Order: sequence, then structure tokens, then C-alpha cells
Amino acid sequence: MQKVELHINGFTRTLLVNAHETLLDTLREQLNLTGTKRGCDQASCGSCTVLLDGTPVLSCITPTIRCDGHNILTIEGIGVNGHLHPVQERLASDGGLQCGFCTPGVVMTAVPFLQENPNATDEDIKEALSGNLCRCTGYKKIIQAVRHAAEDLRHG
Amino acid sequence: MGKVIGKPTPLIDAVQKVTGKAMYTDDFKFPNMVYVGLHRSPHAHAKIMSIDTSVAAAHPGIKAVITGKDIPIAFGVLPISPDETAMAVDKVRYVGEIVAAVAGETPEAARAGADLIRVSYKPIKNFITPDESLVECSEDEKIHQHTKNSKNIHKIADLSFNDPKDGIASSSFTRSVDFKFAGVTHAFTEPHSTIAVWNGDESLLVITATQVPHYLHRTLSKVLDIPLHKIQVKKPALGGGFGGKSDPFPHEMITSKLAILTNRPVKCTLTREEVFLTNHGRHPTEMTMSVGCDADGKITALDTDIVIDGGAYGSFGVVTAYYNGVLLQGPYKIDRFGFITRRVYTNKPQSGAMRGHGAVNPRYAVEVVLDMLAHDVGMDPCDFRQQNFLSENTKTVGELRITSNGIRECLETVRRKSGWDDRYGKLPNGHGLGVACGFFISGSALPIIWNRYPQTVVHAKLDFDGRIVMFSGASDIGQGSDTMLVQIAAEELGISMSRVQVEVADTKLTPVDLGSYSSRVTFMVGNAAKQAVDKIRHQIAASVGNEKSVPREAIQFADERVFTDDGKLNLTWDEAVDIAMAGRGAFVESGFYISPKLGGKFKGSGAGLSPAYSFGAFIAEVKVDPMTGQVSVIKVWGAHDCGKALNPLSVEGQIEGSIHMGLGQVVSEDMRYHNGRLLNANFWDYRIPMTLDTPEMDVTIIESNDGEGPYGAKEAGEGPIHPVLPAIGNAIYDAVGIRMTELPITPDKVLTELRKGGQQ
Amino acid sequence: MSTSSYFLPGTIAEAVSLAKAHQDDHVFYAGGTDIQLHVKQRLIKPNTIIDLTAIESLKSMSIQKKNMKLGSMVTLDQIVKNPDIRKFYPILAEAAKSIATPVIRKSATLGGNLKVSNRCSFYNQSFDWRQSVGSCLKDTGDICQVTGGLNHCYSRNVSDLVPALIALNARIMVQTSTGINEMPLIDLYVPDGLIVHTPLGVGGIITEIFTSDEPSKWWFKKLRLRKSLDFTSLTVAATVNKKDVLRVCVNGVSMAPVLVETGINDVTLEGLILQVKRACKTVDNDYMPLKYRREMISAFITDCWNTFH
Repeated sequence: MQKVELHINGFTRTLLVNAHETLLDTLREQLNLTGTKRGCDQASCGSCTVLLDGTPVLSCITPTIRCDGHNILTIEGIGVNGHLHPVQERLASDGGLQCGFCTPGVVMTAVPFLQENPNATDEDIKEALSGNLCRCTGYKKIIQAVRHAAEDLRHG
Repeated sequence: MGKVIGKPTPLIDAVQKVTGKAMYTDDFKFPNMVYVGLHRSPHAHAKIMSIDTSVAAAHPGIKAVITGKDIPIAFGVLPISPDETAMAVDKVRYVGEIVAAVAGETPEAARAGADLIRVSYKPIKNFITPDESLVECSEDEKIHQHTKNSKNIHKIADLSFNDPKDGIASSSFTRSVDFKFAGVTHAFTEPHSTIAVWNGDESLLVITATQVPHYLHRTLSKVLDIPLHKIQVKKPALGGGFGGKSDPFPHEMITSKLAILTNRPVKCTLTREEVFLTNHGRHPTEMTMSVGCDADGKITALDTDIVIDGGAYGSFGVVTAYYNGVLLQGPYKIDRFGFITRRVYTNKPQSGAMRGHGAVNPRYAVEVVLDMLAHDVGMDPCDFRQQNFLSENTKTVGELRITSNGIRECLETVRRKSGWDDRYGKLPNGHGLGVACGFFISGSALPIIWNRYPQTVVHAKLDFDGRIVMFSGASDIGQGSDTMLVQIAAEELGISMSRVQVEVADTKLTPVDLGSYSSRVTFMVGNAAKQAVDKIRHQIAASVGNEKSVPREAIQFADERVFTDDGKLNLTWDEAVDIAMAGRGAFVESGFYISPKLGGKFKGSGAGLSPAYSFGAFIAEVKVDPMTGQVSVIKVWGAHDCGKALNPLSVEGQIEGSIHMGLGQVVSEDMRYHNGRLLNANFWDYRIPMTLDTPEMDVTIIESNDGEGPYGAKEAGEGPIHPVLPAIGNAIYDAVGIRMTELPITPDKVLTELRKGGQQ
Repeated sequence: MSTSSYFLPGTIAEAVSLAKAHQDDHVFYAGGTDIQLHVKQRLIKPNTIIDLTAIESLKSMSIQKKNMKLGSMVTLDQIVKNPDIRKFYPILAEAAKSIATPVIRKSATLGGNLKVSNRCSFYNQSFDWRQSVGSCLKDTGDICQVTGGLNHCYSRNVSDLVPALIALNARIMVQTSTGINEMPLIDLYVPDGLIVHTPLGVGGIITEIFTSDEPSKWWFKKLRLRKSLDFTSLTVAATVNKKDVLRVCVNGVSMAPVLVETGINDVTLEGLILQVKRACKTVDNDYMPLKYRREMISAFITDCWNTFH
């Protein structure tokens, strides 16, 4: 077991982890941050996406031990202080979710994507979300919501 | 009408979901909780000779170990086929069947403990394909003892009206085509998960991802021998069902039993592989579809012979067997009609109910055959269909009562929007359009369990804070039934949706709803909710009318006010509530729904009966790559008659989701087996379309305003999927001249057919 | 499993020395995207993890017209997005873009993809699955579950970058405890599903991949059912250089990538296809049927040929 220091959603936590513990395990089980979901536990659905130093990663295949000293942002860290991020607002308002299980993963993929690609087209958005499995929506309203969120962000 | 009803309405829990606050079963933790580890059979069919749990029990952290004999009472979602047990008792019937279970301090301990269980088996002959199960075997070899004639046939469902075989034989044009469909599975993103807590007063709390809290409630009582009134089943936020969470499950019995034995809360969340092994997906199917028509293209007869592969247990299979046949009675008028469906048991993870339930595969077959007949007769496939539609307010040959029917408008809409007339048969080689239609029930008129209760009850409560709480057993599985309850209350009482909250899917708190399956919730729960809220309004109007000496009939509810047009009465909602509560305090009103008595007087007449049917027409545009045989679906136009869209945002979402799920079954999804062992029990190899694989969609809501649906509403959750598959199949014909009769339509099959030169 | 040790070296030398010290049971973690899948399926059980993610010198990128040098820890996302790679070596950007998903590509590395494990539908399964079906040669068993044979493993090399890089005549630098070596990339691959990669020497780490090729034409195609996530069922990468040398590299259908290098005017299409097919040992261990994949080898090479002519 090794001691690690994780800076999660702006707060530093010190934990004991073994070499094989994944960030998903740590978030859900040790830290009770259950917003990040376990859909497949093997990198094939995107539900477990979080940000590691601002970059989206699949937490189910990220060893916690390699996150020692790094910044982690989960769905619980998006849209705080009473304001939703436009991606969240639009997913909610545009019908971009039904059961909602894939939704945190979609948010955590779309938010950094729009930051890097403020003028993303629908094709770009589809490509960016091509690792997020959704069984409910058929993706149409998700893409539309992210497009609207991009417009919202461009207009400040 | 239409303050709230009919407006695109975000789900009431949307903000919870986008912020990660919505609590799904696995998100819950209880103090001192232990975890389940499941030991599963490596054999497809074998007698259990002995089980040694001693090593497992001695493993650090293991708190309890149980095997089949600890929970031996059989169950099944249908009272007529209770053929499974929580764990295998004398023998195992599929690779992956649960044989034993442990409770461990941590998930790792539980996994290690489960791995230490030692089972010795004596393999029995496997029945992997339906052909093997259709022939005689020895009594020892049979998968289930109760099947007859020394075969592994679970159920034979058949109906025949007006000698369809003769009808086919005497038709001007006939087609008789064989089809084969691989099994597919729901593949919702949230794995099955259950938590059980054994309370100090010997009551059981089960929090679980279920579409059917009521059936689970009954089953837990039966299997664990606990009185019904001591069991509480709660469904929290649920990550997708589609029929895959609509049975009581072995892991739910096991988790509950372990909670009782350990006296600690117990959690069981399946791995993705285990979810695949649980299956209950669409039955693999083989069928011969025969249809005849006259020289003018009027359908004369339909006859079909179907075999569905039920896997190891029954699930909804008896109903599935009927739905395969009876739901071919629409949307076309067919006067000579017959089917026979044989459901067989095989040694594979069981098939069950999956979106579209039993009617999806036959719909593909019939729509492809109709397409062939249209060509034989020399008619445009849309014209062919148009002239054969059932009318509204009629009966099918099997006496299914059709009321509202928007099929004509559906077809006209997609025909126009897709540019069908200018493009069908005229696109360059490799590029094509295809059309198909379908229809589906808005809930079964006959409940599974026979009693004198309604099919659903909703309670609406009003209290001093001006809040309405809707109590309903209805299970929101992402389709938005919770939001519907709020919309209805807000609409009828003229208040903002923020004044209405829901208590749902809790068998202690909420009145019974049968469950979210067979597309019954909008129609049945909607009606019950409206009735309950209407009574609340009636009560308020009576109290206010009395107090203010104003005729009750003149009192209106709108904009959070209670008033009359002449201004004599002008109260705020809260003031009206205050008056209504005087002398009695908070009150609850009850609404319910019971289907009208429907159907003919013959055996099997109940199958397919529904108080209302949805209708739909879809057109698909595809491109076929002649080098690789890969099929790309470019665009799908869909028009679905849902009676009335209470929430257009949700209805569109259901149509779009159905297109995606139908697409997957056509081009890339299949449950593959090697000697009964599932080969692709993960999302890498069970290929669900991702964003780049999913076509553009143009969906239109058609509203035929059903006379019996709440505000005219009918279903939209399953009906839209049926026409999607054959629209794609027929589009491939227009593109490259081949008829694909085996699903999924993988590139290798396309190339094989192209080489054959296309079927005429 | 919970007794593993984890190291995060800051330099290549440190990493090599750790590998030497734990010679028999270490794994290198690059992006970790491939390894983690194997760990979860209980196919490997690493006792010592040497994480390369902190070694900055492995992340360098230098791309010009006739010269590309990439550190082994460069991510696939970096390759996709690099404007110079897209300009001078587009075949590599195209290959990288076809891999997995955008998020996985942000972690997955060049070196990791070069060393990606071979795959087989009977091997890449969970522990329980393999217990019930039977373990295979590549796992702990004595028999190849696909062919029934006892001696040969036919697991497939599934890298998409490798055929593109071999078509570019790429070479690799390897650092071991005894020094630095250089070799053609193609020599890294052994047509044996059990061995897969040529042993790199004690503590060996691939540090850099480079090429000085200048293709005048290129062609790349990956056969798979979905447009994201899916591993390849056949990848063909081809280049023609200014001296009319044709390099066709085929992967995903044999235990190692197969290269045919010839003057483009010295071979016929039929001859080229025959050479490739002879060198590929393709068995029924993939999602797509065997016969179809063999047909697609011909189809892809034909399409490539037509594009070049």
C-alpha cells in the first residue's frame, strides 16, 4: 500500500492505495464521489471519464497511484457555485439525457473538448464523443446539446 | 389545454443527472455493508454432484456462503412458468448460471471467496441450437422436466383464422421466405445492482435496479417465505432497462438471503460480463414468413412458422411466443391469418423481453416479404402498404380492437420528407431507400397476474404547503414517467410544475403499478394520475365553491390561481388550498386504471389485446460499399403515431433511441456463442453503434388523439423500433438488389449475397 | 494483486536500472490502456510496475520533411493533432486517428501501441471464461483453442501505427542496461503469437521512433465494423517513395506485421497479393469471419494498387 495525495475538485486528500487500485475505485469507494459511473470497467463505454490535470481520462483504467500529486476534476467539480456549465444546462434542457447513466461521462468529455475546440462543428462533436456509449438517446440530442453549449460559450 | 402537456419538458431529474447527483443503486452505501461474490457454472448443461463451500467459508472476510438448496423455491415473472431458482439446485442449465454465492467484507474478498467454491459436475448433453431442442431426447437429458413429448419445447403458441394456408395457396402472388435472427441484448449502461437490508423488525428492504418493483415484491415474498407486508422494494434512479430489468432476478433473491443471514446490509453489483450472462434479451429466431396478395396488391393471407430460442429459462417467453404472431395482425388488414411459434429451451443464457417484445423479428420478415410482393406486383412499396392499412375504429382478424390510427399520416409524412417518390429506385448503384411500417400495444389489456385490482393506482396528496405529491408505483427507467406525473398534476390544477413532487416505485409507500414493460405506463399511469388529480381539483372546487358561494362548475384553475371568469372568485392557489384543507387537513385522492374488456372468445384471444395501439412508418437511406460489403445507414426518417405527445422531448427521445437500437440489431449486434459460452460479453465485441456509426435522424410525432389515452396519448417506447430494421433491409435491396434475410447484416454476408447476383 | 510495487522513475536510466533489478516480473506502464485491460481480465498479474509517464525526455517530437523523430511516450492524440505530422507524414496521423477513441488516445502512447499485445478471441476473455472454455497456449494451457494445435499460437498483432511506420521504413532506438541500440521497427516483431516481440535486452525500453522516408504516395485503410473503439480486423498501410519503391505492410491478420517491399514496377497486383497472403498465417480468431478477412486482404491491396496507378 502506498500513500498518495490527490487534489480532487480543488481539495487535497491523502489516501492509502495499492498499485492496482483504479481511480474509479478510489473515487467511488474511498471518497464516496459516486457521480463518476462504472458502466463496463474496461475502457469501452466512457461512463467513468474524469479530468486528470485537465485532460479527460478513463478512470477505470487509470491507476490511482499514478495520480499522486495531480489534479483531478470529477462531475461533482463541474458547474459549482450554483451555476451549471452550459454543457450541463443544455443536456438537461435539450433532452440530451434519458436514464442519465452515461451523462457524467458525456459532460466530462464534452467540457474539455469545447474548451479546446470552441468552434466545433457537429462532425467534430460526434468524433469527440465517439467513445461515449449511450443506449437511450441515439446521440442526436446529446450532439445538439453540445452544439448549443458551444454557442452559449462563444457568446459568453 | 396545453399549459404543460404537449410542451417539450426537460425531465424533472435532469439537473440531478447532469451533476452526478442522481443516485443509482450502486451509488448507495450502508454502514457495515458487505458485498456479494457469485460463483457461476462453467458448463452449459451438467448435474451438480457436490459443492464444497468449506474453503470459501474459511477465507478471510467471508461472512456467509449459500448454495441452491438454501433458496430452492422456483420463480419466474410469469406465474404460468416459474422455472428458475436463485441458484442452480440439482443441475446447471447454462454457462454462467449462478451456483453459489458468498458475502464478503470487501468486493475483493467476495470475489476471492466465490472463486474458492469447489463444485463437481457431471456434464449432460448440451442443447445449443433450437434444432437440437426440437427433437426428442431422453428424459434424463431434458433441460426442464416439465416439457412434454421428450423434447425441449417450452411453449407452442398458435392461432389460425380463415385457413391462411389455403389463402396463400390461392393467391395470385405469394412469397415464402426463411429468415434468421441472432439474439441481441439490452446492453443498458447501468449494470444490474441490488442492495438488501434486513431490518430489526424482520422486514426486508431491497433497493434495486428494477423495472418491476411489484413483481419483485411478490417474488421475494414467495421465494424467501417472508410476508408481503414485510417487504419493501425501492427503485432509485435507474440506468436503462429496455426489458432487461423487468424480471425478478436470482441476484436479488441471493442478496436478500445474504442480508438475512449476515444481518448486515448487502450489495451486489454485476460486472459487465455478468450483465451479458444475465441476458433476458431478444430471442434468437428462425422463421418462415409466407404472405399472399392478389393481382392488385391487396394482401390476402399471412402464415408464419416461427421458432424462438428461449435459452435456459422461461422469463416472459410464453408472452413472447404469442407476440411473435399476434402482432402481425396490424398495421395491415389481413383476413386470413395464422402463426405457430415454438419456444424452445436451450443451454444458453435465457432470452426474455426486449424493446418491441417478440414482434421485432417478425416485423422485419413481413416487411421484407411485403416489399418483395410489391415488386412482384409492380407497385411502389409505399403505395402497396398504403392500400392495405387497417382503418381506425376497426378490429383485426384476431379481434384486436383498433381505435385511433394515424398510420396513413405517418407514411405520407416520411414519404414526403425523404423525397421517396423522386428517389426510390432512382439512386445510383450502392445507394438506396427502404420503407417499413409497424404497430404496437400501449400496454397489455390483460395483466399477468389475475386479480380484481386495477392495473395501476396513483395517489395525489395535497397539504398545507400547497404542494402536490404524486404517489405512484411507476418505474421511471429514463423514459420520463416521473416527469409525466408532474406534468399531469400541473396541467389539471393550473399550477407550476415546481409545486408538484413525486414519490415513486416504493412498494411500502406507493400504490401498485405493474411495471415499466409492454409500453403501458403513459397510457395506464397517465390515466390514473389524471383521475387522481381531477378528484383533487374537484375537492378544492367543492370546498371553495361552498365557502365563497360560487357554482363549482364555474371555478377555473390556471396560473396558480383559482377563480371565476366574472371575478367573483379570485384566489391564489395557496388561499384555495387553505380553504380546501379546513376541518380535514391534508387529503389524498386516488385514481386508477383498468383496461376495458376486450377480445374474442377463443383460446389465446388475450394475447396482443391492448386498449390502444401506436403506429409508425420509417424510411431509411443506406449506402453499401461494394468492396467491403459494409452498410452505412445515412439517414432515417420516422413518423410515429403516439396519440398525443405529453412531452414531445421525451417522445422524440424514444423514437431516436429506438432508431439507434434497431440499427444496432441490423448492422452490428449479436450474441455469439462457442459451445454455449458467450463469446462477446463486453462492449468491445458486442458492438453497439457509437456516435460515428449512428445516422442522421428526422423524427415526426403524429397525433391521432386516442379517445381513451390520457389527453389522447398512446405509447412511444417500443413501437418506433419495429419498422427501423426492415426499412434498412429494404433500403439495401434498393441499393444493391439483394435481400438480406439473416440478421445482423454483416459485411461478409452482404458480399456473399452480392456474389450470388442478388435474389429475385 | 495488492502486493505489487510501483515505481515512477524520472529518467530513462532510472527506468532501465529498475527493469534490470526486477528482470523477471516487471511491466512498463506507458498509457496503460492496453495493459489495464489485461490486468482486469486476469491475463497478466504484474508484480512490479515501472511507470514511464514522468520521463519527459521520452516525449520529444521533431518532424521535418525527411525526418521524423518521436519519443515513445508521445501520445496518439499528439500524433493526430501535430500539424507537421499531418503535413509530412499524414499516413501516421491517419493511422493514429483510427485507434480506439479520442479520450483513450489522450493517454495511449506510441511506444505502447508498438508493444500492444497480440489478440485472439479465445485469449482476450475473462478469467472465468477461460476457466470454462479451457486455457490456451498463450495463457496457461497446452492447446491452441482456435486450431486445436499444440505448438503454435496464432494471436494477431493489432497495432495500426506499426504498419504505417513500417511502410515509412521506421527504425527504433532501444536503451538497455548495456547501452543504446538501433534497429528497423519491423525487426521488433516475431511471427509467433507467444513471443510477439523480439527481446530487447536487459531492461530494454524503446526510447525513440524515427524515419527519414519521404513518401510520394501513401494509402491506409483499417477494416472494422464500427468507426470507433473496435480493434482492427485488417490494417493495410502502403507507401511509394521517390525511387518507386513500394512498401505494403499488412497487419491484424497474422502474428506479426507482414511487409512486402518491391519496386512498384517489378511486381504485378496478383503477385503482390500472393506474396502477402503467403506470408500471413490467418486463422479464425477474430470477430470477422476468416474467409472474409482473406478476401479483404485482396480487396484492400487491389484498392491500394489502383490508387497508386
